[in-house]
Amino acid sequence: MNFGFMKAESAPPNGREVAVIGAGPSGLATAGYLACLGYQVQVYDKLPKPGGLMVFGIPSHRIPADRIQRGVRDLERRLGVIFRTNTKICCSAPMHEEEGDHFACDILSLNDLVDNYDAVMICSGSWKSRKLGIQGETLKGVYSGLEFLFPIRAIQYASTNVSVPDVRGKRVAVVGAGHSAVDVVDSAISLGADKVSLLYRRTAKEAPCGSYEIDRMREMGCQWLERCTPVAIHGTDKVEGIEFRNAVSGEQETLPVDVVVGAIGEFPTPPFQKELGLENVRRGEVRWLNMTALDNVFVAGDVLSGPSKIGKAVYSGLRAARSLSNWLDLKAQHRESEYNFDEDKMTR
Amino acid sequence: MLKGTRTLHIDYSKCIGCETCEAVCKFLHDTPRITMTRTTEGIMIPLYCKHCDKAACMGVCSRGALNRDRDGAVVLQPLLCRGCETRNCVMACPYAAFFATCSGVAVAKCDLCASRRDIGLGPACAEMCPCGAILYVDRDEVEALESEESRKAHKRVMDHIRPPRCSR
Ligand SMILES: Cc1cc2nc3c(=O)[nH]c(=O)nc-3n(C[C@H](O)[C@H](O)[C@H](O)COP(=O)(O)OP(=O)(O)OC[C@H]3O[C@@H](n4cnc5c(N)ncnc54)[C@H](O)[C@@H]3O)c2cc1C
Ligand code: SF4
Repeated sequence: MNFGFMKAESAPPNGREVAVIGAGPSGLATAGYLACLGYQVQVYDKLPKPGGLMVFGIPSHRIPADRIQRGVRDLERRLGVIFRTNTKICCSAPMHEEEGDHFACDILSLNDLVDNYDAVMICSGSWKSRKLGIQGETLKGVYSGLEFLFPIRAIQYASTNVSVPDVRGKRVAVVGAGHSAVDVVDSAISLGADKVSLLYRRTAKEAPCGSYEIDRMREMGCQWLERCTPVAIHGTDKVEGIEFRNAVSGEQETLPVDVVVGAIGEFPTPPFQKELGLENVRRGEVRWLNMTALDNVFVAGDVLSGPSKIGKAVYSGLRAARSLSNWLDLKAQHRESEYNFDEDKMTR
Repeated sequence: MLKGTRTLHIDYSKCIGCETCEAVCKFLHDTPRITMTRTTEGIMIPLYCKHCDKAACMGVCSRGALNRDRDGAVVLQPLLCRGCETRNCVMACPYAAFFATCSGVAVAKCDLCASRRDIGLGPACAEMCPCGAILYVDRDEVEALESEESRKAHKRVMDHIRPPRCSR
């Protein structure tokens, strides 16, 4: 991915420095756009490698990792972007609460960045897994989609504090029918699971992943259970079965399984959610496109929209980057008042 | 005359439907000229202009607003197109790669990022596709790039935009 696609060469420095928090698609697109304009960009990420969910979530057979790393190298070499990996930008909430936090060796606060840079772009994604909210969810053998997928990719970068879920020869139930549910099914099968069942509360027609993917999974031997809503996970010290309401038969059934993966989505956990007034940015009630309640602090990607897609994150990152540079340009000339937010919102 | 020129080629078997191509196009050109559609089977696919050797759109435009530029791209000349209501081109394109707009010019189509080519850059979608599914390649090389999977995936796309006739 050529994140610096706006230019063929490097750009003459414009004397401004910007910090980007998060090296997923939105952060990398922001970094590339601004670096092409001559900004000195530093990208902070808590993980050991840039790429965000493209590298640590989506299985490698779907996105060739080297394409992303080549794009990152080009940002470094041609456009002078500096990557600070293993560095978490601190939030008000306690540490160790999202997937991947244990990689962070360095911790910096958002205030430090605000003080030291002309502007800050927050692109920290959407990493906190939604829970099933049923009895037995804390049993050993229950995972969220990201808890399951993250270690499979992360193990290449550090083997001490992550371990790939052990599903060899086991029976696995996956709940959900989005893309991450499909990825969990694919991964479980390739990790040698004995039997994989997919439970979805609606029908194949309504599944976000589409009927083509469902047919493909069934061909691989995955059991498809539609209109099935989990009500409890059973077991004494570890998972032994999942109980669900089958709306087709109208009965309550129990499927004996050893592993349950709830792949029902994630939600964003940005540093300083309230202080930044992110709700207002989401509703578009701000004076500058993608700018938070703090001057010079912008936000883009899934952290703003909730889980979306790579393309949406890239678009958001590019627009926010353009907005950021417009802001700094007009501010330097004391002409902020000339900015027309509604126009920017509609026409771009 | 088209010898040695390049065109866009998507290998649909490598595409994961991530929308990055559309997003980048929209960022640069406002109305995207490569757009995502969801098939009835639920696969997301980008529709795009192949700048065909024998371009049907060029033949049906009564104003001569569709022309070949120096790099072999089929480009729309807004000054000639403006105001046409027939949308002949939209109907003639076998790949559904013309997009009706509600702004001044009636339609939008890919011009292989003409303004980027002017300064030595290639089409932005190909630069940013995370999967390397979009290539900006020599026309003569396209055939050699095809594989069993890519042909199958391409057929799925074609069946969606031109459903096979009901056999009954
Ligand atoms: C399993 C799965 C499969 C998916 N499949 C697809 C697909 O097939 N196609 C598709 O288009 N989309 C897919 N998506 C969605 C896609 O990956 C995301 O929409 C996209 O990556 C969001 O980009 P982002 O830049 O906003 O955030 P992310 O990619 O999440 O990147 C955020 C980055 O910020 C870092 N970070 C977070 N907090 C901090 C902090 N406090 N300090 C420092 N760094 C921090 C994280 O480490 C991460 O690297 C999938 C998602 C998942 C989970
Ligand atoms: S950017 Fe590439 S992978 Fe994504 S939808 Fe477009 S062609 Fe497919």
